[in-house]
Amino acid sequence: MLLTPNAMSRRLRFGLYTTTGVIALFLLLPIVFIVLLSFGSSQWLVFPPPGWTLKWYEQFFSNAEWMEAALASLKVALLTTVFAVALGLPTAFALVRGRFPGREMLYGLFTLPMIVPLVIIAVAVYALFLKLGYTGTLFSFVVSHVIVALPFTIISIINSLKLFDQSIEDAAVICGASRLQAIVKVTFPAIRPGMIAGALFAFLVSWDEVVLSVMMASPNLQTLPVKMWTTLRQDLTPVIAVASTLLIGLSVLVMMIAAALRRRNPVSA
Amino acid sequence: MSAVLNDGQQARTLVSLRNLNKHYGDFAAVDDISLDIQDGEFLTFLGSSGSGKSTTLSMLAGFETPSSGEILVNGASLVNVPPHKRDIGMVFQRYSLFPHLSVRDNIAFPLAIRKRSAAERDKQVDAMLKLVQLDSFAHRRPAQLSGGQQQRVAIARALVYEPRILLMDEPLGALDKKLREDLQDELRQLHRRLGITIVYVTHDQEEAMRLSQRIAIFSHGKIVGLGTGYDLYQNPPNAFVASFLGNSNFLRVKAHGNGAASFEGQPVAMRLTPGLAEGQEVLLMVRPEKALALSVEQAAREALPAGWNEVTARVGEVLFLGESQTCSVVTAGGTAMTVKALSAAGMPMQPGDTVKVRWAVADACVYTQWAESDLNKAAGAH
Amino acid sequence: MKVAINALQTPSGAAAGAKGAAMKHTPPLRERWRGSRNLLPALLFLGLFFFAPLIGLLLRGVLEPVPGLGNYEQLFANSAYARVLFNTFSVAGLVTLISVLLGFPLAWAITLVPRGWGRWLLNIVLLSMWTSLLARTYSWLVLLQASGVINKALMALGIVDAPLEMVHNLTGVVIGMSYIMIPFIVLPLQATMQAIDPMVLQAGSICGASPWNNFFKVFLPLCRSGLFSGALMVFVMSLGYYVTPALLGGAQNMMLPEFIVQQVQSFLNWGLASAAAALLIAITLVLFYFYLKLQPESPVGNSNAR
Repeated sequence: MLLTPNAMSRRLRFGLYTTTGVIALFLLLPIVFIVLLSFGSSQWLVFPPPGWTLKWYEQFFSNAEWMEAALASLKVALLTTVFAVALGLPTAFALVRGRFPGREMLYGLFTLPMIVPLVIIAVAVYALFLKLGYTGTLFSFVVSHVIVALPFTIISIINSLKLFDQSIEDAAVICGASRLQAIVKVTFPAIRPGMIAGALFAFLVSWDEVVLSVMMASPNLQTLPVKMWTTLRQDLTPVIAVASTLLIGLSVLVMMIAAALRRRNPVSA
Repeated sequence: MSAVLNDGQQARTLVSLRNLNKHYGDFAAVDDISLDIQDGEFLTFLGSSGSGKSTTLSMLAGFETPSSGEILVNGASLVNVPPHKRDIGMVFQRYSLFPHLSVRDNIAFPLAIRKRSAAERDKQVDAMLKLVQLDSFAHRRPAQLSGGQQQRVAIARALVYEPRILLMDEPLGALDKKLREDLQDELRQLHRRLGITIVYVTHDQEEAMRLSQRIAIFSHGKIVGLGTGYDLYQNPPNAFVASFLGNSNFLRVKAHGNGAASFEGQPVAMRLTPGLAEGQEVLLMVRPEKALALSVEQAAREALPAGWNEVTARVGEVLFLGESQTCSVVTAGGTAMTVKALSAAGMPMQPGDTVKVRWAVADACVYTQWAESDLNKAAGAH
Repeated sequence: MKVAINALQTPSGAAAGAKGAAMKHTPPLRERWRGSRNLLPALLFLGLFFFAPLIGLLLRGVLEPVPGLGNYEQLFANSAYARVLFNTFSVAGLVTLISVLLGFPLAWAITLVPRGWGRWLLNIVLLSMWTSLLARTYSWLVLLQASGVINKALMALGIVDAPLEMVHNLTGVVIGMSYIMIPFIVLPLQATMQAIDPMVLQAGSICGASPWNNFFKVFLPLCRSGLFSGALMVFVMSLGYYVTPALLGGAQNMMLPEFIVQQVQSFLNWGLASAAAALLIAITLVLFYFYLKLQPESPVGNSNAR
C-alpha cells in the first residue's frame, strides 16, 4: 500500500519526505532570501550580509519616486478592484443563472484574458492607447489591469454562486421582496466570501502586474513594479529588495485575510 | 374529474387553474390542466418526478410563467402579478432559510419587507415562534438547528404574513421517516387550526393520504385523478390511478353482455357497465386485500356466496410481512395475482398448492380503456 | 425563424387578450435569452478594450508594411527568428518537465502527511504563487549571479573551480521559470490525488499488485487527468512568459514574448510583432482547447438549477 504513509516502506517514506522538504525549501528560499537581503548592509548584496541595517528602508521611504510609485500602485490596484468586481458581479450572475444558449462559450470568452499571453494583451492595448493618446494615464493603467483581473473576479463569484441554493432567493421573493431586494438582502450576504475572494484576487493581480504596466507607464506615472523593473535593468541595488519585501508583505497579508475568511465561512470560497 | 367537497360546509373556489400549459420547446411539462382549489382545503399534488406537479406549483408561486392559460384567485388573474406581490406563502424542499439571519430574523423577514412597525413585528414573530414551538431557539442561526426545526422555521416564515394560500414543495422529503410522520401530524393540526388553503406537492402517496382532504394525481403533465384519498383508492377513475396508488390485480376479461364476462374461459360476474360490446376486452381491478385465497378443502366447505367470483390458481410464494401476509398465485392462463390478508386470519398454503381465489363483484373496478404501461405504475410505499 | 416570428406576434397578443384563457404570456425569444442582459457591461468593456485591440493587432500582421503574408514568411524563413521559436518551445518543454518532476512528489507528500503538515506545505505553495513575480525573479537574479550565494557555495564545496554562468542565459530562464511554475502543477495534481479513494489502492494490493505495480498501474493512471491539465497549463503559460526570461535571460537567446516586445519597442516593426503574436495566440488557444477537453465538469453548470 502506497497511499498510507505507515504502510509505506520506511526507506521510501524517508526518501519522499526528504525530497519534499528540499522542494519546499526551494520554494521558500528566494522569498526568505530577499527579505533578509533587504536588511543586509552590503551594497553588493553579499550573503550572508556583513551587518544588519535599515538604511535601504530609509532610502526607499525618503525617495519621492519610490513613494509616488507605491502610491500609484495602491491607487491603480484599488480602482482595478472596484471595477473588476462591478463588472464581474453581473457577468457571473448571467453565466450561472441565465438560461441562454452558448453559456459555456461565453464563459470561455470571458476567461480568455487569463489565457492569452500577457505580452500580447499588453502590445495590443498599448497600440490602442497609443492611437488614443492615453498611454501613461491612470485610465490606461486601470483599464488594462481590469482586463486581466476580470476573469479572477468572475470565476470566484461564479464558484460561490454555484454553491448558493437559488431557492433561498426565491423564498425571499415569495416573502414579498422584489427580485432586486432579494438579491441584495439574501444572495449578496450568502456569496460574500466569493465576492471578497474575487476582490482580493483582482487587487493582487493589479498590485503585482508588470508587463501591462511597463507598456502603459510614462515618466509621470509608474507603479511600483514598473519602478522596480526599470531600476532592476540598471543595477541590483538593495532598495529593490526593500520594495520586494513590501510586495511580499502585502501578498502575505492578503493571503492571511483570505485564509481567515475561509475559516469563518468554510462552505464557500 | 371535477370533484367538489361536499362535506356540508359552504365550499367556495379560491384558486382556479384554466387550461394551464407550460412548454419547454416541444416538451409539455404541464399539459392543459384545469383545476379548482377550494378555500381552506388541503390539496395535494401527487406524482412521480417529471409529472408536472412541481411546475404547476411554480406557476402558482409565479416563478414560472405559463405558456398559456389562466390562474385566477377570487376571479382575478394572477398571471401577470410578480411572485413577490402574490401574497402567497411557500415552504421549499430544502427549507431555504436565510443562512445569515437568526431564526427570529428569518421569520421577521416578510414583515420587515412589508415595513411593519417594530412592535407589530415582534408580536407576530413571537406568536409564530410559539405556534411552531421554537421560542427557545429564536436567536440561533439556521445551521444550528436540526432538519425538523429548520422546516418549522420555514413554515413559520411562510405563515407570519398571513397569506391566503400556502404552497409546500415536498417540504418533508429530506427528513427521516419518524420525524416526517410527526411533522405530518403537526401540519394537519396546523391546517385545521388556521383554516388556511394549502397546496402540497409530494411523490409519497402515504404522505398524501395522511395529510390531504383531496389529492390530484399528476402524470405526464396532466391530472389523471382528483378526489379524496378514500375515493381514489377504493374507486380509481382509471387503471393508471389504480396501479399508481397501492397495489392492484388486473384481470383481462371478455365482456358477454351487461355484467357478465369470461376470464380465461371461465365465466365471471362484474359490475353493471353500460355501453359494452359483445366480446369486448375489459380490465377488472381487484385490490389484494379485497381478494381471498382458499385451499381446495376450504373452498369445498364454504360455498361461494352470491355476488362473488372464484378462479383457480397455483400458489407461487407466501410472504409473512408482520401484520399482514401476502400470497402470490398464477392462474392456469398465466395471470399473476396477489392476495393479501391479516396475519391473524392465517394463510395455510404452501408453494405449489392449488387455491381458489375469490372476490366480491362489487369490489372489482371495471375499465374499458387503458394503456399497457398504466398497469405497472406502482409507486411503492415510501 | 419560428422563434423570431413568435416573438414578433406575442407582444400585441398579450396586450389584447389579457383575460383570454388560451393566450400566450411570455415572448419565447425573451425566455430563450433570459438573464443575458447582465452580460452587456463586461462584454462591452472586453469588446472595446480587449477584443478590438487584439483583432487590430492581428490585422497589422497581414497589412503592415504591405498587405500579404510577408511577415509570416520572414518569421519562418529567417534563421534568427526560427532560433527564437526553437528557444521558446525547448524552454517551455524543459520547464514543464522540471516542474512536473518537482511538483509531483510535493503534491503526493501533501496528500500523505498528516493534515496539519499538509496545510503548511500547501500554504508554502500558495505563498510562493502569490508572492510578487518581480520580487521572486529579482531574488533569483541575485542568487544566481557570478558572485551569488549559489556559486559561492558550490565553490566552497569544491564542486566547481570558477563561477558557473547561470544568469543572462537560458539556464537562468529555466531555473527561474521552473520555480515559478511548480505551484501550477502542485495545486491541480494535489486536488486530483486528494480525490482518489484510498480503498481503490487497497483493492489494488488485495488483487495482488506489488507496491510498484500499484503505483504505476493504479495510482499514476488515476492522477493522469490532474497531471496532464497541470502540465498543459504550465506549458501554455511558459510559452507566453515575459518577465522572467527578460530579466534572467540573455540578449542573444530570446523567447517569443521578448521578441514581440523588442519588435514593437525597439524596431517599431508592428507587422512582424503581430505575426509572432498571432502564432503565439494560435498555439495557446489550441493547447487551451485540449486543456478544456480534460476538464470533467462544466464551469457554469449549476448544481441546483430549477
